[in-house]
Amino acid sequence: MTLQRRLWIVLLLTWSLGPLLWQLYTSFSINEALVTPFADLPQRWTFAHYQAVLTGDPPFWRYLFNSLIVGAGSTVLTLIIAIPAAYALTRSQARISQVARVVLIGAALFPYVLLFLALLEVARSLNLGNHLLALTIPYAALSQPLAILLLSSAFRDLPIDLEEAATLEGLDLWQKLRWVLIPLIAPATTSTAILVFLFAWNEYPIALTWISDSNLLTLPVAMARIAGSSIYSVPYGAYAAATVLGSIPLILLVLMFQKSIVSGLTSGAVKG
Amino acid sequence: MIKRRHQAVGLSVLAFVLSVLLLPSGLYWAQARSVERVSILMPAPFADASKELVHAFNQQHRGEIHLETIRGPLETEAISDLAISSLLLGDAPFDALLMDVTWLPKYAAAGWLVPLDRWFTAADIDALASGAREGNRYNNSLYRWPFTADMGLLYWRTDLMEQPPKTPEDLVQISRALQEQKRVPWGYVWQGRQYEGLSCVFLEMIDGFGGFWMRPDKGEIGLDRPAGVKATTWLRNLITSGVSPQAVTNYAESEALQSFKMGDAAFMRNWPYAWAELQKPDSAVQGKVAVTTMVAEEGVSPTATLGSWGLALLQTSSHQEATAEAIRYLTSVDSQKKLYLGYGYTPTVQALFLDPELMDVNPILPDLLEALEHTKPRPQTPLYAQFSDVLQRDLNGVLTGNQSPSDGMAEATSTSKTILRSAGEVMP
Amino acid sequence: MTALLIPAALLLGLVFVVPMLRYVWLSGHADSVLTGLVAIPNQGANWVRLLNDARFWQDAAQTLRFAVVSVGLEILLALAIALLLDQRWRGRGAVRALTLIPWALPTTVMALGWRWIFNTPYGPLEQVSGLLGGPALNILSNPSISWLATVFGDVWKTTPFAALILLAGLQTIPSDLYEALKLEGASAATCFKRITLPLLQPYIALALLFRLAQAFGVFDLIQVMTGGGPAGSTESLALYAYLNAMRFLDFGYSATVMMGSFLLLISLCIICWICLQSLQRRLGRA
Repeated sequence: MTLQRRLWIVLLLTWSLGPLLWQLYTSFSINEALVTPFADLPQRWTFAHYQAVLTGDPPFWRYLFNSLIVGAGSTVLTLIIAIPAAYALTRSQARISQVARVVLIGAALFPYVLLFLALLEVARSLNLGNHLLALTIPYAALSQPLAILLLSSAFRDLPIDLEEAATLEGLDLWQKLRWVLIPLIAPATTSTAILVFLFAWNEYPIALTWISDSNLLTLPVAMARIAGSSIYSVPYGAYAAATVLGSIPLILLVLMFQKSIVSGLTSGAVKG
Repeated sequence: MIKRRHQAVGLSVLAFVLSVLLLPSGLYWAQARSVERVSILMPAPFADASKELVHAFNQQHRGEIHLETIRGPLETEAISDLAISSLLLGDAPFDALLMDVTWLPKYAAAGWLVPLDRWFTAADIDALASGAREGNRYNNSLYRWPFTADMGLLYWRTDLMEQPPKTPEDLVQISRALQEQKRVPWGYVWQGRQYEGLSCVFLEMIDGFGGFWMRPDKGEIGLDRPAGVKATTWLRNLITSGVSPQAVTNYAESEALQSFKMGDAAFMRNWPYAWAELQKPDSAVQGKVAVTTMVAEEGVSPTATLGSWGLALLQTSSHQEATAEAIRYLTSVDSQKKLYLGYGYTPTVQALFLDPELMDVNPILPDLLEALEHTKPRPQTPLYAQFSDVLQRDLNGVLTGNQSPSDGMAEATSTSKTILRSAGEVMP
Repeated sequence: MTALLIPAALLLGLVFVVPMLRYVWLSGHADSVLTGLVAIPNQGANWVRLLNDARFWQDAAQTLRFAVVSVGLEILLALAIALLLDQRWRGRGAVRALTLIPWALPTTVMALGWRWIFNTPYGPLEQVSGLLGGPALNILSNPSISWLATVFGDVWKTTPFAALILLAGLQTIPSDLYEALKLEGASAATCFKRITLPLLQPYIALALLFRLAQAFGVFDLIQVMTGGGPAGSTESLALYAYLNAMRFLDFGYSATVMMGSFLLLISLCIICWICLQSLQRRLGRA
């Protein structure tokens, strides 16, 4: 590997991870070290910020738990609705699938934050506020475009004779889906599931307006609330600790599933 | 025949034994179910300060009422957003709310509050200090009972000067002199960020120059009048002349406090809570600080922005009597004394300001009483949030050098007038 | 068969179509704290107010500025990253995974971090500038440049996404095209200009359009990082709509702002589309 390439790689990694590493450093530093970083301090490391964040009320792990529930629920609901729809799309007439694709791409482009007011009214009238599982409904709806596009292209890639063979063996539609087709598109399903999970975990405006009970907050909303909460003169140590704790689950997720994520996004790009 | 009678006796004995066993537990269960759970949303510092009071209340009302406080964010706008968000969703998880004085008209107009007139008499109101009586009514109903009486104060360094300044000119002169003698890096630190604190600072200055911000009932805006432009220019000049650091345009209360605490400034504008912070062992100005009312021009009475927090009862509460009871308790004279002695929260009852026990602990109490005589609430209208938002944007624009004082005030006035006009279209 | 499409179609209609219709209806009514949160028809007064609302147009300009600069920078950076990741070298997979991390984090989590990094006087940037003898940067309190800090935060987070799309495009270009051109003695730069860019063009267009639409709705980053300040210089349309609803309790006007933003976005997309089409035609001719 050439020196030049090595340099670029180092630059890239510094760019991508630098800010996070800085937060890591900040989270372990005492307040004086943050305010006067070049002073000579005998003891500049502390766990106090993490203590403050973890022993808060409610405790930090609660937010991670809430986000997990919402993420998992949204993923399941999305797949239940999107898989049959994606299959139906591939077996429909060309006109319908054309129109559907345009509609779905348009919906995927839409900045959904503009929907928050109407969705808030929905939450108000149907009493869906402050219920974690109720959030899965708008999330599943917003994930449909991406999910259907990815899954339908996966279905389309399956050789038609496999399906014909299954029909000849006497399997009806649901049996075909359950035993033959869905297992075959497992990689695409995994990619879609991860991407939907990430979206649900990171979503902010709808979670902000639908949940107000502090015990039910998802992680992004909890972070924003922490941002407005400080009573200290220099709150940044605690903020940094919260940032680090909030990032860990996602970093793990990305590292574990990076191949799925990449293939999902790239195949979406290529087929889209 | 005999067997059936045995059966009957046996059954009645069984029934008797069961009822004897179940009755007490049934009573206990019925009583446990009747414990009313009351929760009050408060910014975190207030919730922490009230812990002992809440505990004492629960002891006193064991078996009847169980009170708990919910800790919310500190920033006024943040906790208001949270409360509004809960109220809009319809099922607020709290019965009462510790609200800032500026939210009252909006919440009352939205129909979220219960009038407190039936729990607080005229005698209760008379016992309050004059400043604490403001900002609790809307449309002639009492909606909020004050918890602490906050007002804007000018903090000054007793080791750097004999007497605090009385006029804006004095403040600038003293600061410049001190800065030239290198006794202090900055003259005056205050809140210049684009947020509610800036509106508080500005109200004191525009009134101090003899003007007014707005009169909602008459539909008049005083921002672009001479006093408004003078106040804006004065604030801007603090920065350009170096009396205040450029960074003050991003300061909230905590940044100004941090700066003053480290000894970096001769003057600070802040709320009464800052006093206790400044007496802590890690403060560089411990014992060298006093407070006074904000500066005002010759012949103009000084103004202290009213910043009191008070408790309001929500319509959606199913325990209104119990909550009112809790509110009375938390704001009783005893509670106020404890809060003051323990946490420095300004009392609301007039008599406490002259209490020798309290004055012993904190010598600035008479100054707080004097400042309370000069408090002024911010414009009381349900649309206050919008007017304040407009002022904050344009004023911060002037302070950061983005536009001139007269342009900034002209723009703020025209936007405010537009808001008034649209409101006029809604409510004839 | 089409019955399978119904649940999805229902959900999509519920979440996209119904709100838009609701906004159109709501924008013709006054629904605010002054009306007791009840909708009263007001014959388009909201729209008149919108057209005369300097703050709305200022926010529109700021949002457009943010979107264009942010997306422009992202595409350039993404191209560089994609070119780097397209080549084969050891550890490529690991580096690719690490590069993906900024995109996976919730925006609000890192927005706090940016507040610290750009903080005056204690943040690291300020300290470095002090060390180098420069003046106080005051980034987050300067209305002329604080929007650049928000652009930076946005570019950091979303570049990996664009990079992956471009990488996908790069990997569809057959390598014999490059070999053929190299045999003719062309330099790397010429290869890039004559093969890479034209073949990558649909992917760039996709990433551009996608990111532009998303950036137009920027909300999380602005709300947590700057709150719209200083002097409202970083406020976006979505944030203005949110403030109108949740802080000023003016739902009628908030709906109007959102409809207005939506219409502006559609116009922007159409303009982009036309530009891209004409660019494609010109490239095709060349």
